[in-house]
Amino acid sequence: MTDPSPGALGESVYDVFARKKRGEPLRHVGYVDAPGDALAKVYAWKTYDEENWFEMCVVPRRAVLPVNRHDGPWGK
Amino acid sequence: MSEDAVKRLPLHIVTLADTKRILGIRYSDWLLGSPSIETGIAASSMAQDEWGHARLLYSMVKHFDLIAWELEYTRLADEWCSAPALDEPFADWAAFVAAVVVVDGALAVALESFGDQSFNPARSRIPKMLAEEEFHWQFGEAWFRRLADAGGEGAARLQAAARAMLPSTLGWLLPQDHLYEVIAGDLLVWRQDRVRARYEERVGELLGMVEIDLDHVIPMRGDWDPKRRRGSGAPGIEAVERARGDRNRSLMGKLE
Repeated sequence: MTDPSPGALGESVYDVFARKKRGEPLRHVGYVDAPGDALAKVYAWKTYDEENWFEMCVVPRRAVLPVNRHDGPWGK
Repeated sequence: MSEDAVKRLPLHIVTLADTKRILGIRYSDWLLGSPSIETGIAASSMAQDEWGHARLLYSMVKHFDLIAWELEYTRLADEWCSAPALDEPFADWAAFVAAVVVVDGALAVALESFGDQSFNPARSRIPKMLAEEEFHWQFGEAWFRRLADAGGEGAARLQAAARAMLPSTLGWLLPQDHLYEVIAGDLLVWRQDRVRARYEERVGELLGMVEIDLDHVIPMRGDWDPKRRRGSGAPGIEAVERARGDRNRSLMGKLE
């Protein structure tokens, strides 16, 4: 069996943020594993489609810099 | 709309709808077996999109006093007008990716052409379909680049699948029949030089990554069946029975 880890498939974690209405704060709705920005956007849109989102964004988790805590998912 | 166009446009619509319905079946096969959970979800969602689009397209035939459900549920497999490249299930993930670019790409261009012209139901319905198709395109493009860039067996299979799908898909997209002349003449679809140019603009660069030059692909129109606007062959009976839902519709009583 080939290595099943996301890293072995060239994938990394992207966090997904969305808002339902203009003016609402973006909220964290989940994450996807993807091999790059283009597929991360598609995977996020297709995976978190439970709402008619006004706006959705994805952020590579590696780009998030924890400020005060280093023991959560963004600190690893 | 001319009387000739009124008579002929429904078959054009059914050609689009049938292709979307079979493409949905083929996509749905890859909910399981695709390379990751996210990819399976995307495949499933794309299948759902295709069926939604098929439903909207079939419903357009009511403008011509035809009955949509008769088209959806009563035709035999060899009466379907779907693109020949979808007659068989995709052999592997590379074939899935090739179909998203080659076949779904052709469908999107055909929709652009239809939705941009003078048939009002198409003008009102197709923009939302194309907005959903944009995600199919992003998915197909990203996966195509990924497999092509990786080289080796994945790129070779991608190239083989795209090469196999292109001739019949070009023949399907650019039919040389009287029907197309009539509906293009009535400004219901783009003329074929514009359709071809748009398709080339859309897929040409990607195909070049696996050394396929669209200018060297000869459209396959052999054994043309004017009633189905495609060459010989048909989607398998198993696929059509699944598309029609025969087994479970029969639970509700004898099918008429």
